[in-house]
Amino acid sequence: MGNNKRSKKDYSDKKTKRKKKEIEDETYVDDPEPLDEDGVPVAAKKNVEKDDAAVPEDEFGAKDYRTQMILKPDHKSRPLWVAPNGHIFLESFSPVYRHAHDFLIAIAEPVCRPEHIHEYKLTAYSLYAAVSVGLETHDIVEYLKRLSKTSVPDGIVEFINLCTLSYGKVKLVLKHNRYFIESPFAEVLQKLLKDPVIQDCRLRRDTEDTQVLINQADKKLKAPQFGAPSSSTTQPAAPTTDQPDLEVVVPEDISDFYNKMDKQDEKEDEDNIMKTVSFEVNQEKIEVIQKRCIEMEYPLLAEYDFRNDTHNPDINIDLKPSAVLRPYQEKSLRKMFGNGRARSGVIVLPCGAGKSLVGVTACCTVRKRALVLCNSGVSVEQWKHQFKLWSTADDSMICRFTSEAKDKPMGCGILVTTYSMISHSQKRSWEADQTMQWLKDQEWGIMLLDEVHTIPAKMFRRVLTIVQSHCKLGLTATLLREDDKIADLNFLIGPKLFEANWLELQKRGFIARVQCAEVWCPMSPEFYREYLVCKTAKRLLLYVMNPNKYRATQYLIAYHERRGDKTIVFSDNVFALKHYAVKMNKPYIYGPTSQSERIQILQNFKLNPKVNTIFVSKVADTSFDLPEANVLIQISSHGGSRRQEAQRLGRILRAKKGAIAEEYNAFFYTLVSQDTMEMSYSRKRQRFLINQGYSYKVITKLAGMDEEKSLHYGTRDEQGQLLQQVLAASETDADEERVAGELGGGGGGFRRVGGAMSSLSGADDAVYHEYSHRSSSNVKHPLFKKFRA
Amino acid sequence: MASTGKSVKAPKSKTLRCRTLHEYLKSLSPSVLDRLYNHPSTCLAVYRELSEIAKHYVIRLLFVEQPVPQAVIASWLSKTHAKEHKEATDTLTELRVWNEASVPGGLSAWILNPIFKRNAKVALLGGGKPWSMSAKLEQDQKARDLDFLNQYALERWECILRFMVGSQQTEGISADAVRTLLYAELMKCNEGSESPVITKDGFQFLLLETPAQVWYFILKYLETVETKGLDLVECLTFLFQLKFSTLGTDYSTEGMSEKLQIFLQHLREFGLVYQRKRKAGRFYPTKLALNMATRGTLKQIREPGFLIVETNFRVYAYTDSNLKVALIGLFTELMYRFPNLTVGVLTRDSVRAALRSGITAAQIIGFLRLHALPTLATPLPPVVADQIQLWEGERERLTTTEGVLYSQFVSQADFEKLRDYAQDLGVLTWQNDKKRTVVVTKQGHSDIKKFWVHHQKGSQHS
Repeated sequence: MGNNKRSKKDYSDKKTKRKKKEIEDETYVDDPEPLDEDGVPVAAKKNVEKDDAAVPEDEFGAKDYRTQMILKPDHKSRPLWVAPNGHIFLESFSPVYRHAHDFLIAIAEPVCRPEHIHEYKLTAYSLYAAVSVGLETHDIVEYLKRLSKTSVPDGIVEFINLCTLSYGKVKLVLKHNRYFIESPFAEVLQKLLKDPVIQDCRLRRDTEDTQVLINQADKKLKAPQFGAPSSSTTQPAAPTTDQPDLEVVVPEDISDFYNKMDKQDEKEDEDNIMKTVSFEVNQEKIEVIQKRCIEMEYPLLAEYDFRNDTHNPDINIDLKPSAVLRPYQEKSLRKMFGNGRARSGVIVLPCGAGKSLVGVTACCTVRKRALVLCNSGVSVEQWKHQFKLWSTADDSMICRFTSEAKDKPMGCGILVTTYSMISHSQKRSWEADQTMQWLKDQEWGIMLLDEVHTIPAKMFRRVLTIVQSHCKLGLTATLLREDDKIADLNFLIGPKLFEANWLELQKRGFIARVQCAEVWCPMSPEFYREYLVCKTAKRLLLYVMNPNKYRATQYLIAYHERRGDKTIVFSDNVFALKHYAVKMNKPYIYGPTSQSERIQILQNFKLNPKVNTIFVSKVADTSFDLPEANVLIQISSHGGSRRQEAQRLGRILRAKKGAIAEEYNAFFYTLVSQDTMEMSYSRKRQRFLINQGYSYKVITKLAGMDEEKSLHYGTRDEQGQLLQQVLAASETDADEERVAGELGGGGGGFRRVGGAMSSLSGADDAVYHEYSHRSSSNVKHPLFKKFRA
Repeated sequence: MASTGKSVKAPKSKTLRCRTLHEYLKSLSPSVLDRLYNHPSTCLAVYRELSEIAKHYVIRLLFVEQPVPQAVIASWLSKTHAKEHKEATDTLTELRVWNEASVPGGLSAWILNPIFKRNAKVALLGGGKPWSMSAKLEQDQKARDLDFLNQYALERWECILRFMVGSQQTEGISADAVRTLLYAELMKCNEGSESPVITKDGFQFLLLETPAQVWYFILKYLETVETKGLDLVECLTFLFQLKFSTLGTDYSTEGMSEKLQIFLQHLREFGLVYQRKRKAGRFYPTKLALNMATRGTLKQIREPGFLIVETNFRVYAYTDSNLKVALIGLFTELMYRFPNLTVGVLTRDSVRAALRSGITAAQIIGFLRLHALPTLATPLPPVVADQIQLWEGERERLTTTEGVLYSQFVSQADFEKLRDYAQDLGVLTWQNDKKRTVVVTKQGHSDIKKFWVHHQKGSQHS
């Protein structure tokens, strides 16, 4: 935890910087620690899917549920099927879709949401989340029964009961810098207090010693419902335009219930006298007690009654009038501030859908000191920019704390830093040390955790023990990990509060409409022969350096430059990255590229009309905000990582101008070498996005490529030379970025921008006049012409 | 430029061919035809299937006792319709409804086939002997109503279809039906496996409307009746009588020959007639027999669609019909069955399994399109169609060439000599110097062999 070794002043700045780089890169490595079973309640470990083994299979090998479910006579007007294994299927074209969707997103995890039929899955975590946003067991079961086309299997009802009855009863509240366990149910607290571990954690102050529990009739100030005034105008209006509700029959029980549920949050607020009992606990033992409560099946919900917090000073920050929330952003925030308090949890929005605005708004709502954690120096800058863009905060209020930029923290309201800065356990500079000390002493109102899925649980725990904060809001685009340890987040931060539907946002024009394409590049015979013989890591190099892939890349870049598009090319493999970029004379960014150079290249990419294509390694996967980019070409990637695929897509998702005019306004190409491992990786990677409703068009041949004479590696000889270079490359070149970065030593030696300096400087413009007559935007991309017809 | 992520071609013309009644009759020998025309029911059936013009000609000539010159007949129709005239006259000739004759003066003329004429008169005007199955019957004690008969027919027919899609439930299908399926190449027996599997034609067969299916099936069956010792004319005549019978009425089996009784039992197995007991003495025709699509137009099923195919390759089928589910199960992996919904997914393996049995990608795509829910904007996502095509394409990447292998060379020098010679001739297919093996094309084999014999002789001499 680094507390002990802090005060040494002599340390090498460089060394730390390098370490930090490694840590940043490390965040991509999937957490190797075994699943921490202690942190998860027993009920949560229960998996309905396993109960399914006994279900008979019909003659075609399908699970036959027909005997367990009875079709209701009015099934046509009800939208769902609930399978006994917890999977739920929802008709998106049903008249009551809106009702059902809102409900399902609260109680279940979306599995896939393409156009017509959505699949959800009930899990212990999703039910936990449902309870924490205020739904009750009875309501969940009742509403599910009403929405279902058939009878709901008994096993499911039982599962819901089991998972929800004990959840959400006990809350952990931080008041006046003291932690209290609070509950409206006295008997539950009594039960907890009988536990020796909890007794041990309890903090008894002399004066209160006689009293077992603190009884409290909380006269709440009338807390303005978040977004309530505006929601009444925008919320119901939007869906009615979508569907002519009048003609279709909505079963009365469904609409009644929906209205009841919709108002639930508000109601809760109306009975503003809440009788609660509580006891104080020792701050140091928060984690112990959290874990213990989970073991006792009473997970603690963290809530922050920020309006009644007079102990912490308010910061003077508000949203600018120009900041307008989109309906889904508002909805997600309503979930967070539903009962006038701030709940901890995770909000999942696709990249480019305005996560930062949600974060900024949350901070402006709480109006207490805010700590923003992100995972790279570049995104620290971007967060600062976002705060200045959307809120009234100015430079004096925002403090950056990174290895390169350290503003004075004292007196500031918002501190933006990286995870690795906080969890760093080695020596720090004196200045950084002071900041850290200050940071620890503060009682933070809200902690924003950006790209929350990328952080290993271990590092996360470290951060949470260092910083005290009333509530935590995690933001991410893809709540998924290859090792499926995402469940940990539920108990470290809080439940998932909201998850947006990508396809719906795309339809409404909030994010770009992306055409995904998988380009199959046949391996050239020479490369393929070597590939088959080679048994080492170099195979990767062979399929990435496949000359046909190179040519396809070059062709696509040239094609899109002519169209006037901005293209990002991703390569995880540094050898390929450098080779491609240098040969094509384009700037590139990878691990060892310095912060200032990165920013310089990105600025040029944004503003300089001559820099239309950049090559980046996986350092740019997350948080590089490049709103201009609308074409992405992926030439090498991290195995079968679904998350990386989604993150990368996110780089071009930001809604584009003229979004309505064209069917697609952004293009995402994945180049794969045919008949190699890449094919199966690629299939795996696409699963997440396909489940979100995206579809990949397979392109087996880029027509017109043969006419393009300027492409490199056209002849056998050139290809042979390339093969020699690849074979001569060392084993380590075949590795991905992280290792290559380490070998880079000082790092500085490698930051060379391949020959594009003249255009970077922006000095020689006359030469590039060809760009002025770029094709107009309504030119159809012939690649997809057929697709549109 | 254009992408070549293959477009979906319309199903190729290799569609199932089914002959119309006329085409079938034309293929029969003249003597069989004449025997057939001995029965008014056949004449009526043939007459009904004629084109309007041909019908007209027949009526005009029905009471004319002498040959009519062809020129006269041609004058009945204006020259602008010469094509239709030609078609009509050709059909009538081929069906032997009329025969060529000559009138004094050497003009060629036509005269109606006397047998046809006699029986057609009976069919159209009444009279003649009562049909064999119309013997008087007493009131059936257990009369069957229409619903029952329809239900029965449907069940019998589905039984055959279900057998085709490989349902394990095989009871109720008769050996004759299986034999006919195999004969018609709607199913085939793969080597090594006991149970037959569906073929490409079979898949297409399943997509047809029931009347078309029945006609196709019965035609194939008729091609085999003579091998079973039955009389084709007798069977056909009976079939035509069935076609003019009334649904819901019972008919007597009295006076039927033994052979015809066997035929009746076959029809009973297929569901074209209902009989409570073999010896009941009476039978009921079902709508399968009445509605046989003898015009040979293979219409595909036109019932409302029930499928949703998603871009993530999920297939949702709104049906509880086992047959439909089994049909989808031919190329999808089925996951869940709900009371009114079946969930499946198209996977590479499941589609390849279908492709292996001979079903084509175009057929699968066509099926998914045809049966998509009518409310969908795009019946089948293009991505899915493309992918199915690609899966099919995958199977065609290997090409084979015949060749001859030369191996076990005694020395490297021998090996090289032969290899270089083969290379010079341009017949070398493959070589490996470590294993000292050479493969040459079949055409090159004789040259290489000569060269090798010569070479060895040479080396022995030295």
